[in-house]
Amino acid sequence: MNTVKRCDGVSRRDFLRVGGLTALGLGLGDFFHLQRAFADNNTIGAKAKSCILIWLDGGPSHLETFDPKPDAPQEVRGPLKTIPTNVTGIHISECLEQTGRIMDKFAIIRSMTSPLGEHNLGTQYLMTGYKPTPALEYPTFGSTIAYIRSQNAQKSDGASLSVLPPNIAVPNFTGELSGNGYLPSATRPFSVSSNSKDNDFKVRDLDFYEGIDLTRLSRRKQFVNALNEFSNAKDADGTTKTDSDLERAYNLITSPEAKAAFSLSEEPHDVRQRYGQGGVNGIGHACLLARRLVERGVPFVTVNHAGWDTHQDIFTLKERYPTDRNAHLPSLDRALSALIQDLTDRRMLDETLVIVMGEFGRTPKINSQGGRDHWPNVFSVMLAGGGVQGGQIIGSSDALGEFPKERPVTPSDLSSTIYTLLGIDPSFELHTSDGRPVRVAPDGAKVVSELFA
Amino acid sequence: MKVIQIILITLVLTLCGYLVQTVTYANEYQTPNQSSVANDFVDFENDLIPIFSKFGCNAGACHGSAAGRGEFKLSLFGGNPQADYKSIVRQLAGRRINLMHPEQSLVILKPTAQTNHGGGHVLDENGEAARLFRNWIQQGASYETLRRLERVEISPQKHVIANLESPIQLYADAHFSDGTKRDVTRWTVFTAEDSSAIEIDASNAIAKLKRPGRHIILARYLTEVVSIELIAPLNNAEIQNNHRTIENSQRTKSSEKIIDIEIQKLLSILRLPFSGTIDDATFLRRVTLDLTGRIPTTDAVKAFTTDTSRKKREDLVDKLLESNEFNEYWTLQFAKLLRIGAKERNTQGAFVYHEWLSNQIREGVGYDKIVRAVILATGDSHEIGPANFYRTVDGPREQAEFMSELFMGVRLRCANCHNHPLDKWTQDDYHGLTAIFAKIEDEQVIKVKPSAEVIHPATREKAIPRIPGEKYLPSDISDGRGELVEWLTKTDNPYFAKAIVNRLWKAMMGRGLVEPVDDFRSTNPATHLELLTALADDFVKHGYEIKRTLQLIALSDAYARSSNALSENRSDDRFYSHAVKKPLSPEVLADAVSDVLDVPDRYGNEPIGTRAISLVNPNTESDALDILGRCSRETSCENSDEAIDGLQRKLHLFNGDLLNARIGVKDSRLDKLLIQNKSPMDIVSEFYISALSRYPTDDDITFWQQHIDFNESANSQRAILEDLVWSLLTCDEFVMNH
Repeated sequence: MNTVKRCDGVSRRDFLRVGGLTALGLGLGDFFHLQRAFADNNTIGAKAKSCILIWLDGGPSHLETFDPKPDAPQEVRGPLKTIPTNVTGIHISECLEQTGRIMDKFAIIRSMTSPLGEHNLGTQYLMTGYKPTPALEYPTFGSTIAYIRSQNAQKSDGASLSVLPPNIAVPNFTGELSGNGYLPSATRPFSVSSNSKDNDFKVRDLDFYEGIDLTRLSRRKQFVNALNEFSNAKDADGTTKTDSDLERAYNLITSPEAKAAFSLSEEPHDVRQRYGQGGVNGIGHACLLARRLVERGVPFVTVNHAGWDTHQDIFTLKERYPTDRNAHLPSLDRALSALIQDLTDRRMLDETLVIVMGEFGRTPKINSQGGRDHWPNVFSVMLAGGGVQGGQIIGSSDALGEFPKERPVTPSDLSSTIYTLLGIDPSFELHTSDGRPVRVAPDGAKVVSELFA
Repeated sequence: MKVIQIILITLVLTLCGYLVQTVTYANEYQTPNQSSVANDFVDFENDLIPIFSKFGCNAGACHGSAAGRGEFKLSLFGGNPQADYKSIVRQLAGRRINLMHPEQSLVILKPTAQTNHGGGHVLDENGEAARLFRNWIQQGASYETLRRLERVEISPQKHVIANLESPIQLYADAHFSDGTKRDVTRWTVFTAEDSSAIEIDASNAIAKLKRPGRHIILARYLTEVVSIELIAPLNNAEIQNNHRTIENSQRTKSSEKIIDIEIQKLLSILRLPFSGTIDDATFLRRVTLDLTGRIPTTDAVKAFTTDTSRKKREDLVDKLLESNEFNEYWTLQFAKLLRIGAKERNTQGAFVYHEWLSNQIREGVGYDKIVRAVILATGDSHEIGPANFYRTVDGPREQAEFMSELFMGVRLRCANCHNHPLDKWTQDDYHGLTAIFAKIEDEQVIKVKPSAEVIHPATREKAIPRIPGEKYLPSDISDGRGELVEWLTKTDNPYFAKAIVNRLWKAMMGRGLVEPVDDFRSTNPATHLELLTALADDFVKHGYEIKRTLQLIALSDAYARSSNALSENRSDDRFYSHAVKKPLSPEVLADAVSDVLDVPDRYGNEPIGTRAISLVNPNTESDALDILGRCSRETSCENSDEAIDGLQRKLHLFNGDLLNARIGVKDSRLDKLLIQNKSPMDIVSEFYISALSRYPTDDDITFWQQHIDFNESANSQRAILEDLVWSLLTCDEFVMNH
């Protein structure tokens, strides 16, 4: 569960999944399509192998983060100051000081625009690239990438997949979404629960139960498969499917290397310190865990950082009480800068795409409670690594941060760009369980090519 | 492989957000036949507002958004023409219109892109829309309106086509208060719910189906929204669904055959063949789970499968409906609906509320009386159970939303901020209902506080109490609940019976006739409207007795249909050509596991032997419920997702306590069978019956004979049998009601 609720407090209940529970395999024809999906991208020269999405759940204020308006009237400017960065001419919020020192690694799109100002709808749009429709639930980036990567690896010569889940959410996925949309549930984000006591993470039930050894574990799996095969609940045309969750659980339990990925205790104290131990909602260690996971071949990790739905007192993003160093902005600053530096030091930045975003921005005018409400008309997204040319601003918002001024970018355009950076052709077609072809990114979405290094 | 394609039609409304994939606007429509408007006086409300809707100007993404766009705000879909008139004529110092030079008016220059317009080029300068605007301004830009729209007639309302390619012409006629009728097809916005299934040419209102199945188009003209249902068969050849089953049925009264008549009618149109009928063992398991939330005992399986009576299914259903287990399980079902225990700290209230509910169910009190009691409740909520209805959510708005979703099956939420874009609900309805509940003080003692009021955000005056969609109550009424409940439980109330019958149907059949079950709208039509109406009428006629409706469903052929899909009906998830497999709910599954193991689980500090389905507090400590999923009832439990990821659940089954800690412990079923020196194959059989409610088949027997080494030590045989029990409790057949 998110530790911080969004303002609507409504749980996910409106969107029904289509075929999400049916794990349909791919036909041979699809295999060639999949090869094409990647082949096409050689021309673009995609570098990113994996992606870390730092999801600022609730909708971060663009004015307090990546698009400050120091010259606007007080009620728009807000209580925070603006600082220069290591790239001449680029200014960001005073609370993102360490991030600003490596601004040359980051690109900011300041002209994101969407019509959807409600959490659930905005989240779906930003995370799938498709405007939500009642007829079909689309898969989020993580699920699409997990699906294509795993299908591709299975079919290519001898390449074996990591037994780690291909799509992991730290500590959990945003509450309102299943994530996998019409794709098989095996591509759904796997939640690593947080252990609030020591700000560490722990995956439950990874170790053998007392008295149960590997022989019995595999026998149990074999028995379940047999029972499903003889099942009375099987469809009449005789097709059986293996219980993929059971297989995945088994593979994970029986791999010590995979399990070690989740142990942050293997990291030196100073590294943990750098990412930040006390940050609100554990974003520091969540980012550190994300690095460990992509290092081990996990294609997509979502770091879900709740609590950006700031309807009241925007200043609490900086500090909630005097001397507070762990409010949202400073925690994000520490975690994000440490992550980028760490990826750079390990020569992983080029192949790891890092995205920082939420479902929308906030109203330019501060409201009567000192907060800002939902504002999808213009907001910012930050990207780094994975073939992104850092040190640049793309697009701009108008003087009051109300609407895009130059080069509006829609969430669809962004999705097309993200897929391209990850080496997936945005026009590549996946299929719903009833066989309907659906493009990875919507038709008409334009790649933001200025981003590419 | 040729895959049958079926479409899902689920209209979604989330808070005040609505979205419909709108047809891309083609160039402005140029009709050769303009006689209807050519010499007419231009009427702001009836002639111009539809233009705003047609071209998307007043949509949520443009000027219809709460903040407007580019400093110009229109009411959403023209819900408030007076406000729109003001925006155009008065605001911006009147610069939006130019009476001297109509063609220089901003309201024309902008959309025709003669001057900078954020929304781009929307209207053709020489098109009909621009001309209407010019004429209106020329005529003085008055608000004068000559007629009031009474209704819009859309045709066809329902259309079955044999051939996918055949184009379907859509029409819209507006009927006005002065008796005139006008073709408004070109000003009507037709929107496909699923744009990949229906293609609509906005220039001539011709729809084409791109995929077979049942699809919905929404037609909007002014504030009227109507749905059109288009059906194309899923198979080319006629099918031989056997209608004799209905005719030969022992049930002769037409009211008892209505379910199968309606379901087969639609299946025939769709040419969907249906799966076979389930055997006795499967029927016993299915109906026992659905009516009592338990898997059948081994004795029940043995007795039922050997019973030779022709009426045994009817007798079984009667017996289950009269059982204590039924009362216990349906108390849980209604406790979830009423969200008893939603406020964690109100434990005393939850206790008396649950106690009261359980008495109502046990005594078979009519659903109308139960609802009457909760809505009219007053008094100390620590003593009077139903009074806790007012301690479930916070505040009168939430109470209004909760009440309407629960007892009317409709979502009013959108109408908090603006008139509902896809339904008839207005802000007056929303705040009027809120005004009724505002007078109910929701402290520990529920009492009427006549002076309390709420402010209507549009008028900024106190909202007048109102029965939604029906009538205003006297503004000085101190307690409007009596009127509300009279209206709600009147036999011809259009919502009340349908809403509950639909939920009962879903509990039995796995999917509501209207889905989501709390989103009834003319724009979200039932899959089987006649059936829903007939079931609701029957329910009312039989004194709002839930048992009657459950019995009717349980004895239908549709209910007894196999869940094993045929390759021809595999992708059907809503027409009941095969039964929908229902995952056991967390509480039922937890109890079933305990029953098969014959080892009770622990729930908080409750006495040993307490079943998960009888827990009053939804947050009672329980690892089993954490793993299997639970609904805390803070929000509605309907349509809630599986709480925990499939991988995590399987990790726990392998390595956690849920099964491992109990499988072979002392006094467990396995332990007792071993002590009795039963042979391994007898034990296999016993567990099949207790977990799957059936005997092992030949395949099963062969498999287990191969895997149980009869020469092994007792210990290793025991280990194998433990693994057998583990796998039975993990396999698909166990965790589903199939």
